[in-house]
Amino acid sequence: MRRILGIALAVLLIGGVIAVIVIGGQGPDHTPTKSVRGVIGSEKSEFFRDPDVTKALAAKGYTVKTETSGSWAMDQLALKEYDFAFPSSSEPAQEIETAAGVKGAQTTKPFFSPLVVIARANAAKVLADNGLVRMSGKNSGTLLMGPYLKAAEEDRNWQQLTGANAFTELAGRVFIKTTDPATSNSGALFIAATSNVANSGTVVSDDAGIARTAPLLRKLISVQGALEPSTDDPFRAFISGSGEPLILAYESQVASLLIQKQATGEAADMVVLYPDTTVNSPHTFVPISEKARELGTLLATDPKLRELAVRHGFRPQEGVAEFTAATAPYPGYLNPGLTGIRQVGAPTVKVLMALAARAKGQGDTP
Amino acid sequence: MSPRTARTRARLMAAVALAATLLGAAGCTSDGPSAASGGSGASGSSGSSGSSGGGPKQQEYKEGRLRVLASSELTDMEPVLKAAKAATGVSVDFTWSGTLDAAEQVASGKADGRYDAIWLSSNDYLRLRPEAASKLANETPVMSSPVAVGVKPQALARLGWKPQEVTWSAVEEAVAAGKLTYGMTDPVHSNSGFSALVSVASGLSGAQSALTDADVRTAQPRLREFFKGQKLTSGSSGWLVTAYAKRGDVDALVNYESVLLSMNDRAKEPLTVIRPKDGVVTAHYPLTLLTSAPAGARESGRLLTEYLRGDAAQKAITEKTFRRPVAAGVAPAAGLDGERRRELPFPGSRSVADGLLASYENELRRPSRTVYVLDTSGSMAEQDRIGRLKSALTDLTGSGSSGTGERFRDREEVTLLPFGDKVKQVLTHVVEPGNPGPALEAIRGDVGSLRPEGGTAVYGSLKAAYQHLGQGNADAFTSIVLMTDGQSGDKVQDFDSFYAGLPEGQKHTPVFAVLFGDSDRKELTHITELTGGRLFDATDGNGSLDGAFEEIRGYQ
Repeated sequence: MRRILGIALAVLLIGGVIAVIVIGGQGPDHTPTKSVRGVIGSEKSEFFRDPDVTKALAAKGYTVKTETSGSWAMDQLALKEYDFAFPSSSEPAQEIETAAGVKGAQTTKPFFSPLVVIARANAAKVLADNGLVRMSGKNSGTLLMGPYLKAAEEDRNWQQLTGANAFTELAGRVFIKTTDPATSNSGALFIAATSNVANSGTVVSDDAGIARTAPLLRKLISVQGALEPSTDDPFRAFISGSGEPLILAYESQVASLLIQKQATGEAADMVVLYPDTTVNSPHTFVPISEKARELGTLLATDPKLRELAVRHGFRPQEGVAEFTAATAPYPGYLNPGLTGIRQVGAPTVKVLMALAARAKGQGDTP
Repeated sequence: MSPRTARTRARLMAAVALAATLLGAAGCTSDGPSAASGGSGASGSSGSSGSSGGGPKQQEYKEGRLRVLASSELTDMEPVLKAAKAATGVSVDFTWSGTLDAAEQVASGKADGRYDAIWLSSNDYLRLRPEAASKLANETPVMSSPVAVGVKPQALARLGWKPQEVTWSAVEEAVAAGKLTYGMTDPVHSNSGFSALVSVASGLSGAQSALTDADVRTAQPRLREFFKGQKLTSGSSGWLVTAYAKRGDVDALVNYESVLLSMNDRAKEPLTVIRPKDGVVTAHYPLTLLTSAPAGARESGRLLTEYLRGDAAQKAITEKTFRRPVAAGVAPAAGLDGERRRELPFPGSRSVADGLLASYENELRRPSRTVYVLDTSGSMAEQDRIGRLKSALTDLTGSGSSGTGERFRDREEVTLLPFGDKVKQVLTHVVEPGNPGPALEAIRGDVGSLRPEGGTAVYGSLKAAYQHLGQGNADAFTSIVLMTDGQSGDKVQDFDSFYAGLPEGQKHTPVFAVLFGDSDRKELTHITELTGGRLFDATDGNGSLDGAFEEIRGYQ
């Protein structure tokens, strides 16, 4: 142990020396850039594409190139080709560390974004009139998970809800379009939250809990048919005026549209519903190569990068004030304080993956 | 080589032969890419749209040139991709493919190293193959378009329809009452046909959520009625539009809204584009990088997708192609109706999707009557042409375990008409539903007995093919495939006047001609244009005859 500590210290010291040489020798304007390549959850791709982010990273000596993947599928990639992975929650981070052979790496959690359900105005109104949603303003509200899951359990169709017949597009089973819970983070977290509600408000932790909740989860997933790998697809469909009336997304996707003043057209009418029971999990930076070791900390602590993260709708660590201030000019859509939202714990990765498999009709659900 | 491997190889060769370089298209006519304006049927001497490009056979990745396996309707992206090249330095080399074919290539690993990206109307089917998951990296939806029905104004008036109120059920009822006919692409070979099939099946089954096997069974009787109205089939959207324009007696087309609106943009008599009230399936065209692509290609792909998702490109896309933008803040082009529609879910299991396709092929669609007019003149003995012909035809008979689209269909009447100086034989077999083996075996036997001998009486033999089709079941998709390796020894005028004298119904039988050996492109182009067929190029190496025959299946 002492020996390991000694080596670690030495590494730190050498690192420090190099850093001093680099910073001292070149000055801030001529920092040589480290080119790093990472695989990220798709929700962050616009952040990394933002020219101001590129600039802020360059000022700190980084050129960052990214590719997207489902967060829960990253461990299947040839991770050696990347300098870092940046899944959208902490749960898959361990699998990624193991797969990349960097177990015990110093991960950081620069920001997070809660799950929301985006609804078309008509759909939100009908759900509210039928007791599945509590509106808190014209464009925001709370999705009542108990009543919603009850409706799912009972195979409720839109046609059976009062007021739905006025709207052509509201027909067929009432469901939330999620992503694939086995590969995509938002889908997995949705399963985590719904399994909690279905398990009488406790985290599913054993086979009995899996067996108890799996049939409902199977319904939530099977009615959707084909599942998308990321929230980008249903979200873009929503913006283009097609797709389902209720889609699972991250708050960041909505917040960034608002902050960048792009919430026009189809997007302007959306209603942002916060599930009353949810699992929040921070986007977690996993360094794979030495080159990217400090990048996570930089993203978490650099004031400029934190500001830019907010611009893209994320909530930085300890950043409620920053987020609230940035979204204040666009009231009516968001719930910056997350008031009235019950945050519950996620099952272990093993249990969660078992739930996802059962939800997809694999495993032994009848 | 097993039949299955041979088959896949043939498809690959066809795909490669069809590789079309968009950037090389700078010299194209101002009407845009030939396939979008209808392929060889309408565009004069350009020949088959895909194969005339003379794309490289198999290429390594070159810096800044993405090799993309794509849905053929993306020919209309040419102007946008030109601008993308100017802005990003990244160009696209397309190879066209249908959904099933693309899924097979990606899932089996055959796409690895051959393509850097796929760009289909949807990846929903592909993702039903579990092996495909690890093959797909970045996936970025670029634009959207729902399946719609384009109806002639006269038909609309006749039916008394209000466009906003029309449902899939109403369409089915109109067909059942004999009041509506339409064209649709082949779901096995074309993405738009596949989406249309899912839309119709969902709409007619009354399914409230994703289709199940039971839903498909329930919907069978109504689906059969619905498909009685399908008078035109095609392996690609582009040719469907051409064939439709030539026919004049078909009331409607089922295709993507974007294809129908683009067609209207050029047409004298625009169709009323209806998105059925009970729901649609929408394509989102995810540009999808493959994990097997070299890092440089993935970086090029990233640049390209970033550009395509930008406001300028999104605006150009919606205005030039009538697809809907996926960027907030870019308004859809004029003519894109904003009223919302229910999104019909795509099946979540492969058994449902494949079951639906198999049912369409073998039970629901009108049967095919197919004549192969085969040059077995003396010159076919050269370079083992006869051997290649036999192998290509044998491939079409599949094997006992052939999947959907990999053998002659149930209920299909297949006629081989080998000729030399004159028609040598007329050999007809009908594939019996539930018991396809004997007919397929008999066809293989007939193919095996073909002998190269005599001259090349193309026109007289074509006449015999029309005469054969003139007898027997008139309620079928009829088509003639002409394969010749040389110039005709008899007179074109005789055939032209014969064709002119055919009853109107028989004139609808197209000739799909295959360029092979020393065949005369001009002669064959004339035949395909006269009959509303299409030219396929198989002069490009060993596997290309298999590939051409395989591709023609989408048109039969």
